[in-house]
Amino acid sequence: MEKKNSYSRRFFIKASAALGALALVPKYVSSFYRDIKALIVPVKEHINLTVSVNKKPYTMQADTRSTLLDLLRENLQLTGTKKGCDHGQCGACTVHVDGERTLSCLTLSAMTVGKEVTTIEGLSEGDDLHPMQEAFIACDGFQCGYCTPGQIMSAVACVKEGHTGSVEEIKAYMSGNLCRCGAYNGIVESIQKVAQHETI
Amino acid sequence: MRPFEYVKPKDSKEALRAKTPTGAYIAGGTNLVDLLKKNIAVPHQVLDVTQALSDKITLKRSGIEMGAMVRNTTAAINPTILEQFPLVSKAILAGASPQIRNMASIGGNLLQRTRCPYFYDTSLPCNKRAPGSGCGAYNGENRMSAVIGYSADCVAVHPSDLCVALAALDATVVVQDAQGKKRSILFKDFHRLPESAPQQDNTLPEGALIREVYIPKNAFHKHSAYVKIRDRDSYAFALVSVAAALQLDGNRIVAARLASGGVAHKPWRWLAAEQFLAGKETNATVFAEAAALAVQDVRPLAHNAFKVDMLKGAIETALQEALQA
Amino acid sequence: MSMSESYYLKQQDTEGRVEARAKVTGKGKYAAEYTVDNLCHGVLVGSTIPSGRIIAIDTEQARQVTGVIDCLSHQNRPLIPGFSSAEKIKESGFGLPIFHTDKIHFKGQPIALVIAETLEEALYAAALVKAEYEEAEFDIDFDKKRQEIALQESGKERGTLEAWKQAKHVVEQSYSIKAEVHHPMEMHATIAAWTAEGHLELHDKNQGVNNVQQVLAGLYQIPKEQIHVVSEYVGGGFGSGLRVWPHVLAATMAAKQVNRPVKIVLTRPQMFVSTGYRPASWQRIRIGADEQGRLLGIHHQAMNGTSTYENFNEGITRVTRLIYDFPNLKAESATVPLHMNTPTWMRGPGDCTGDFAVESAIDELCYTMQKDPVQIRLDNIASVNHPDNKLPWSTHFLKECVTQGAKMIGWEKRSSQPRSRTDGDWHVGYGMAVGMWNASRGKASAAIRMTGDGHMVVQTAMTDIGTGTGTGMLNIAHDVTGIPKHQIHIELGNSNLPPAPSQGGSTGMSSVSGAVVAVSNALKLQLAQYAAKSNPGFNGVSADEVMLSADSITLPDKANVRIAYTDLWANNLLGQIHVEATSEPGEERKKYAFCSSAAHFCQVRVHQKTGKVKIDRMVCVADGGTVINQRAAANQMSGAAVGGIGMALMEEQFVEHKLGGLIADDLAGYHFPVNADAPIVEVAFIGKPDPNINPSGAKGLGEVGIIGTAAAISNAIYNATGKRLRDLPMTPDKVLLATPS
Repeated sequence: MEKKNSYSRRFFIKASAALGALALVPKYVSSFYRDIKALIVPVKEHINLTVSVNKKPYTMQADTRSTLLDLLRENLQLTGTKKGCDHGQCGACTVHVDGERTLSCLTLSAMTVGKEVTTIEGLSEGDDLHPMQEAFIACDGFQCGYCTPGQIMSAVACVKEGHTGSVEEIKAYMSGNLCRCGAYNGIVESIQKVAQHETI
Repeated sequence: MRPFEYVKPKDSKEALRAKTPTGAYIAGGTNLVDLLKKNIAVPHQVLDVTQALSDKITLKRSGIEMGAMVRNTTAAINPTILEQFPLVSKAILAGASPQIRNMASIGGNLLQRTRCPYFYDTSLPCNKRAPGSGCGAYNGENRMSAVIGYSADCVAVHPSDLCVALAALDATVVVQDAQGKKRSILFKDFHRLPESAPQQDNTLPEGALIREVYIPKNAFHKHSAYVKIRDRDSYAFALVSVAAALQLDGNRIVAARLASGGVAHKPWRWLAAEQFLAGKETNATVFAEAAALAVQDVRPLAHNAFKVDMLKGAIETALQEALQA
Repeated sequence: MSMSESYYLKQQDTEGRVEARAKVTGKGKYAAEYTVDNLCHGVLVGSTIPSGRIIAIDTEQARQVTGVIDCLSHQNRPLIPGFSSAEKIKESGFGLPIFHTDKIHFKGQPIALVIAETLEEALYAAALVKAEYEEAEFDIDFDKKRQEIALQESGKERGTLEAWKQAKHVVEQSYSIKAEVHHPMEMHATIAAWTAEGHLELHDKNQGVNNVQQVLAGLYQIPKEQIHVVSEYVGGGFGSGLRVWPHVLAATMAAKQVNRPVKIVLTRPQMFVSTGYRPASWQRIRIGADEQGRLLGIHHQAMNGTSTYENFNEGITRVTRLIYDFPNLKAESATVPLHMNTPTWMRGPGDCTGDFAVESAIDELCYTMQKDPVQIRLDNIASVNHPDNKLPWSTHFLKECVTQGAKMIGWEKRSSQPRSRTDGDWHVGYGMAVGMWNASRGKASAAIRMTGDGHMVVQTAMTDIGTGTGTGMLNIAHDVTGIPKHQIHIELGNSNLPPAPSQGGSTGMSSVSGAVVAVSNALKLQLAQYAAKSNPGFNGVSADEVMLSADSITLPDKANVRIAYTDLWANNLLGQIHVEATSEPGEERKKYAFCSSAAHFCQVRVHQKTGKVKIDRMVCVADGGTVINQRAAANQMSGAAVGGIGMALMEEQFVEHKLGGLIADDLAGYHFPVNADAPIVEVAFIGKPDPNINPSGAKGLGEVGIIGTAAAISNAIYNATGKRLRDLPMTPDKVLLATPS
């Protein structure tokens, strides 16, 4: 396990030596002991955030490292946005940020302050479905359903961006959303269906 | 991911001032967040420059200026770019996915790190990530590695498509250093060859910011093409890619530009082939000769000899497509 | 057989899947998505060496990270009773005794688990765990290691090798396929919680809740009733969920250790080394035919990689015994132990691999003989009896698939001369191949709970990994009972429900459909019995005579015999009616052989200068018996074809040969098809029921969609370019550098 710590090796050795020496000192300096330790393994940094998700503001104290994806899934219980790779290589985590399709796994939560985040849960209201959701049902644009929220968020953007001129164009602009079940037939058909409707 | 302090400077001045030696700027985040998760980048401070840098595209008398914070998609669909610098758009659209292009910034695109798998796996040797640990790929699994301009210390390739177009079009990079001083770096001088210091990808001074990327006006807008060969049709890094641009006078080539991705530590210009093409007629034989000339200097590694033929084919194809564009 | 013929014709379904709404709104909960009180997060730490022994694990730094609760390793964990001795570990059949050994079998082997309050903390702490190893020699190079391994007889030899030694036409070639990884979009995940009474609650991603229950009950030596497994939504499997993998056990151990619910979600790189893969394989085929193109014999040799701690034989030569009536057949196989994790079944296991070689070799033979590949299939496919056990096929429509597929693609446009059609810089060609799969069926149970308002719930423990199990159940329950679909609710993927086999080997629908038919009939009979108390017309009726409507029980043949549920419930003082039934294969298995089959055709373009391959058209015609849901079935077939495109053109688990492990182990390094890689796949079904396999007549489609696809593509590339590629995946570099034969 090779890991690049931001403290130099020399600092580390010095700190370790200090720790060794400190093991002999009385308990009343234990707070100092903890501080030194904290220098070796940095403590978590917090930030106070207000993030607007599906037009609802959420205010919380978050870990600066939290990605939008983990914030949605682990903190806000909005699990419709999926984690398929966590590294921007699959598209399952696609959400809209200020109306544009974005990968939430590569977005730090802190960077979404002041922006509007839309997830699959916010695509439609009440019992009504968004036309793209209806189309995915009618065209069977999924199998296991795991990539589906990301596909739908991406598909909505694809139509909005106007990339529905041909099957090839739809396929090119939907290639940022992997589907291992290979439900690409139905995904393309769903988008065609919505695009046709929108241009009438 | 190591804990870090998050700061969001209001302008470039504040950004430059606030940055500590262990800080890292973040723009689109499409590369840095990945590197943070892999514990390859371990900054103590992350500075969000999305507000601090320009996201404007400005047509000037002698060229076009793209602010560092212009998103890739914005550049790709900009009417002026499509009309006068279409190669830039073609290269951007050949890369990543719509989502990533929406996020990624122009400045960040220049600064993205290699996708060499040895760099990305902290259990493997890599001089770029851990100087002195060796280059695992040089004698290892180097199918995706460089075929030119590499050293025994590093055979990584630069992953950008946009940069190949920028190299072809002789762009310049406007940077601002920690002291606030601005200067221009020619694109060909911006990215480095690995030599014995592969940890340094480029010549951006420590603590400096990219402010703008500038492309001078040219006469290549009518005939340009970007050809990218990869293991799948989309959303994959290049095995090889070629940006080709021709300035024509009837059947005669006045000037040509040829650059490649997936072959070197930096976007690679095929200058000899460009010179050869100047003044020649446009035909398949000439294109094949130019491609052959380009690959003459290529020195593949154990597992990427295919790049020679593929590159040659891609150059011919790109020239042909540029002609027909 | 209790259903009328007309059932089979009602195949159109436009209302979408039963779980569609939950999936398109993101409301369906996958394993890692349940809200559990007091939950903490576990992150596994993998070995950084491929072979050897752990000397020490240093968790000092990891433990200093804010929020870290504990670190488990073989030095510090609760003992699993089933792993208390070396013998027990072996007996358990679990494979890797996680945290109960210091031995390292592969790089990435889990050696520690960090448990923390938040995911961010656990991930960071996991990166700080250090281990010291004693390194040992390793074998990672399949092609090198296999040279040391001897082949062994694989199944009974038919005829002799001698008999066709002088065959007029002979092809002898080797084929190899790199290892492939399932990579369902949902990464495997488990939430484990122990209750005060020693019960275990699991939310887990798998393809069989009863299997998970059984395996863990064995390891913990507790009654399986004390283990509750919920897997309502499963984000794909492809075989990766057919075993219980070490991370599942790690989560249960951690939950015990910290006395809190623990969630483990594998990372994508961990998915490469944690939940199996299709092993690398090598095959050699010698095949012969007479002057007329009648296949005389085949000698099929195959090897596949396995781990050093378990032996997994993929069954590559099985398919050779299935499709053609070779009078002479010799099959040999062997496994090659490597310092990698154990491979497992992946979509079309064995057959998919073997079929690539056999169907490529037959194509090669066709060019040698100058015969049409379609005609050679039609002349040689064993369509009457199973070639090995000689039982008559219950139904067999592979020849019909071939004929229909040829028509759909326009096979007559194919030039029999390779490398003879171009379109600019592109070579154009056509290829075809066939695939088959032994259709089987397991024992499954289902229950119905019905209330007086005419609503009912159909239940089974079986999972729905995306194949449409629930929708199939709904369709069958509706068709058999008559109750409108909107009054039927489906519950599955839960071990508290009636038991069912794991969902694999295309047996899911085949098994559960029988149970749903049985329980639907049981419900009708039970209601008829109550009805008979007030209306003697219901006395002694058979299930076929009874029909249930939205609000009443009727006898369709007798117009006036009808009792409203409200009356029926009131008269009999009923609450909720509960019926359960089990269905399993029987004597028919001794009388018939069963198969699903498919013919694959494609048109490809190959770029002369860059080696790029574009699949212009892909046609799949399948016989899976009854098609219970047209859209879901077509989706599964086209999806499998997409998987086949991946297998053919791009999927490869990259091995670091010098350092001994995997490399490029993420979804940027491991390519499977994106939308642009696949054409709109054209799918058709024969759609005729198999009257003997089960009451629904459905034979299963999960596997045949991928068996044969890779060969069809490879054969098309040959037709286009004259280049024969025998090494998958056929990436642009290989296509470009190959020389035309």
